[in-house]
Formats: sequence, C-alpha cells, structure tokens
Amino acid sequence: MTTPALTPDQVVLPRRPHRVAGAVGVFRQIIRRRTGLLGIGILVFFTFLALFPTILVGPLQTATTATGPRMAPPQPGYPLGTDELGRSILNLTVHGARISMVIGLLATVVTVFVGALVGIVAGFRGGRTDATLMRITDFFLVIPTFVLALILAPVITSLFGTEGEILGIRITLFVIVIVIGLTSWSSTARIIRSQTLSLKERAFVDRARVIGSSSRQMMLRHVLPNVTDLIVANTVLVFAGAVLTETTLSFIGLGDPFAPSWGQILNSAQEAGAPGSGAWWYLAPPGVCIVLVVLAFTLVGTVLDEILNPRLKGRR
Amino acid sequence: MSGRYLLSKVGQAIVTIILLIILNFVLFRMMPGSPERILGRNPNVSAEAIAATRERWGLDKPVFPDQLVSYIIATANGDLGFSFVYRGLPVVDVLADRIWPTVILFGLGEIIAIILGVALGAYTGWKRGGLVDHLGNGASLVLYATPYFLIGMTLLLVFSVWLGWFPTYGMYQVGATYNGYFDQLTDFLSHLALPLATVALGLIGQYSIVMRSSIVETLGEEYITTARAKGILDRNVLRRHAMPNAMLPMATLIAINLGYVVAGAITVEVVFNWPGLGTLTVDALTARDYPVLQGIFVILSVSVVFANLIADLGYQFLDPRVKA
Repeated sequence: MTTPALTPDQVVLPRRPHRVAGAVGVFRQIIRRRTGLLGIGILVFFTFLALFPTILVGPLQTATTATGPRMAPPQPGYPLGTDELGRSILNLTVHGARISMVIGLLATVVTVFVGALVGIVAGFRGGRTDATLMRITDFFLVIPTFVLALILAPVITSLFGTEGEILGIRITLFVIVIVIGLTSWSSTARIIRSQTLSLKERAFVDRARVIGSSSRQMMLRHVLPNVTDLIVANTVLVFAGAVLTETTLSFIGLGDPFAPSWGQILNSAQEAGAPGSGAWWYLAPPGVCIVLVVLAFTLVGTVLDEILNPRLKGRR
Repeated sequence: MSGRYLLSKVGQAIVTIILLIILNFVLFRMMPGSPERILGRNPNVSAEAIAATRERWGLDKPVFPDQLVSYIIATANGDLGFSFVYRGLPVVDVLADRIWPTVILFGLGEIIAIILGVALGAYTGWKRGGLVDHLGNGASLVLYATPYFLIGMTLLLVFSVWLGWFPTYGMYQVGATYNGYFDQLTDFLSHLALPLATVALGLIGQYSIVMRSSIVETLGEEYITTARAKGILDRNVLRRHAMPNAMLPMATLIAINLGYVVAGAITVEVVFNWPGLGTLTVDALTARDYPVLQGIFVILSVSVVFANLIADLGYQFLDPRVKA
C-alpha cells in the first residue's frame, strides 16, 4: 500500500481561471463605486492621450518647429496659448502625457519588483537574511530619499553617459526611472514582507515543504500568487508616487528638455518666469493633468485596498 | 520607559547615521572625478588648504579602511569639504547661512498643518458620510495629489500677480531700509505668508486623510459606545475619547513624513526664491557643486533620523501600551 510520491510539479492548484475571474470581478467592484469609476475614467482618458499624441495634436513641437507667437494667451489656433519659444501648450501637454506616464510606469515596475523581491525573500527566509534586509529597508524608509535621488542622478548619468537610447527611451529619462526605483521600494518591501510572514505559517506552504519543494519554488508558486492582490493594490499607489516624484525631479531641473514631461514643462515655465508674469495658461494645463492623474491613481488604489483588504471590509 | 528600549532605539539611530556617512563616502568616490581631482580643480582653494585636507581625508592612504575612517571622523567633526562655487568656502559655512530660513518656513508650516489637518480630519471623520465629509475629504485628496510647487505657483499667480497682496519672491525687499525692527518684521512676514501657506496646504491634505481614517477606526471601539451611553456631550466624546487615541498614528506619520517633506521644501523655496536649503540644493545641482549637495544630504538625513528617534521615544508617552 504505497502511494506514489508526488513531485512538487504535480501539486499545482487550478488557479489561473480563478485568477482571471477574480480580476474581472475586482474591476467590476471598482467601477461600481463612484470614486473608483471616476479614477478609472480619468486614467482611461490619459492612457488614450498617451497612446495617440501625434494623431491628436501632431508631432511634438520643438524650438525649431514652433510656429506660434511667444508667451501668448489662448487664441484661435493655440487653444491653450504658447510658451516662450512659441510652442503650443496643448501640443506639449498632450505629448507630456506619454512621457510622464511611461516614466511613471517604468519607475513603478522597478519599485514594485525590487520591493516585492526584498519583501518575499526577507519574509520567507527569516533569520539573518530577514534582519539584514529589513535593516536596509528601514534605512531607506528613514532617510530623505528624494535628496538621495538628487545625488544619485549625476552619478548614474556619469555611469551611463547622456547620449543614446535604451528600449527607445532617452537615457536621461532612464536615469530618472532608475533613481525613482532605487529610492522608493522600501514601503512596498515592508508590506509584502509582513504578508509573507503570515503566509509562511499556513498549511499549504508546509505541505509544499514536506513534499520537498525548494525554497525558490515555494516562494514563486505558493507565496507570490498569494501576495499578488497586495502587490496590485500597492502598485497603483506606487504609480501615483512615481508620477509625483518624476514631476518634482523634472521641476528642479533633472528632466530632459527634449522629452518634456509635465514636470519638465512646469520647469520651463518657472525658468521663463511664467508665474510672475501671470502666464496662467502655461501652468494650468500640465498642472491640472498632474493633479488629475495622481488623484485618479490614489482613488483607484484606495478603492482597491478596500476591496482586497479583508480587514477593511464592511467599513466605510 | 525601559532603558533597554531607549538604548536600542538610540543605537539604531547611530547605526543609521554611520550607514549614511558610508553611503555618502561611496557616492563621493563614484562621482564624476575623484576627490583628488575635485579638490585640485577648485581654483579657489589654496595649496595649503588642499594639503591639509589631503591629510585630514587621508587621501594618500588606501581607500579602505583608512580613507573611510578618516572620512567618518572628518564628517563627525563637521568637516564637509569645500564648495566649488561659493569661492571655496567650507561647506559647513555655506549651509549655516541657509538653515534658518528653511527651519522657520517648515517648522511653522508643519505646526499649522498639524493643527488644521488634525482638526479637519477629526471633524470630517466624525461627520462621515455628510456633506462636510465629502467636501473636506475631496479637498484633502486633491491637495494630496498636488505637488507643493504647483500649490505655490497657483498662490503666487493669484495673490501676488493678480491681487498684488504679497511680494513675489525672496525673504526681504531687495535694497530696503527699515525704520526700526517692526518694519523689518512686517516685510519678513509679508514675504513669508505665501510660502508658508504653500507648505501648510501641501501637508494638510495628507494629515487630514490619515486623521479621518484614524477617527473612523476609533468610532467602532467599545469605549466610544460606553462614553456615549454615559451621556457625554458629542463634542466631548470626540475631543476627550476619540481624538487622543486617533492621534497615535499621526505621531508616526509626521515623523516618517519628514523625509518626504524635504522634497517639497526644495520646490517651494524655488518657486518663491526663498533663500533656504532648497534653493541652495537646486543651485548646487545646476552648478554640479557636489560637496555642497552631499553636505545638504548629510544634514537633512541626520535631522530626519533624529526626528524619527524623538517620535519613537515620544510614542511611549503617548501610548502606554507600547512596551517593546
């Protein structure tokens, strides 16, 4: 009466169909709430702008292709006015959507990847690994990471140079992505770690261990799928933070003037003295876009948290 | 408070600061150009000063451990090197001039934001679901989503340029002569008003959101029901029973937040040309004045570490249940 020993590969729960149904269900729950619907609506709008800027407003205008009068208020042909070089603010803002969102997205990917990796490994391994990783995490939580980002930017630039592209993205933008990623993963790591700690004690992880799964397998197949909800909810909030950080870094002059994000446009506005000369049309469009996008991500993130976090269920 | 807890917290803070200095050391050596070249390139530093600095930093000895140890000792003694831009002045002197404007702006801004944010959050949480809650919470969310400098630019545009109520930049009127101390103070305050309002508005959103959710959480507690059952006035239940407990998460938030406030500080000062550490940071960044930039990093991070330490220790007094 011997039962054949199960190999770890055989112990796979049929979770994929369940996941998909879950994702659709969660999405339905988000748009059923007014704030969630508002957030999703704003994000769909800006995703549309980011996907088709050239179809909507023509190619990105530069100092040489600018056609308008300088620093002119809104008028026919230039519905949102022009900047100090005669570029249409509407054109810049719509193209800024793509740049801001892409940098935000990539920085979020880096942040969440590093955070989840550190969190899962620390929580699962425990002991000295956990202590060391959490010490580093606490260090990054406490120090003013923004100032660290300011110092890191020139260092990374000197490592990579300023010319060239990676994956079709200008290298200066890539530096911003790396800087944001390296300095903002710590809270994600904390959240994921605490969830991993409780998962590790569950029976299904014990079962996997008993049948001889390696640590790597247990982390990838048993812990990771169970922290996905948490990672998704966190990702949305991290995105909001990444857009804000990118905006702030660009505003103080670490952006790329040849790839104007919304923060970069506001930097040019500040340098051109737009606030002091009352050029509201230069500030309002990129400003409103930043606020709307960050607000939308915050709303969706909060709603997601309410839906996915069982502790908060039933509380409004 | 147990002595062991105190010791472990202080120990952690010290380790963090040492790690910070090591990080700074590593970055300094990764910077474009070695410290040797950086020193030599600076025409404003005399040959004797270079020789003395070489000795103090131990540049003739191996990088590890001699240079690192010398660097830590030098930093601990307040030697942060020389600025490239400010005529070769020691970085410490450059920083010293710029600290007070920032401390005044952000100290006052934090205090105002804490008072108003806590009040707004407590009130909206208490009246949750009502009109005040929707408006207050909505405003908080929008403020939270707005970068500091954008708030600053808007205030500048409306109150300085359109209404002309406040000056647009600086800390004092350029070239002004004052008829006494009071005049000077008035000038200072009129310059302070808008940056201060910006800082406060930037912080209020977050504080009120956290305070609101914290209040909502305490509302379900049994001691609140008990207090109500005893017939205590509604506003006293809020003030005496709900708020003291709901304030606890705020203490942590305010301390942790300091690291992020720094980012806001830099941009607000740029918008209003406020002569603090923020404008200095951006000037140093534009001029690639690395020693000043690193000095700012050391000063700001050490202050944030201290603030966190104080918050950790203060938490003990606020919440007797915390006995680590």
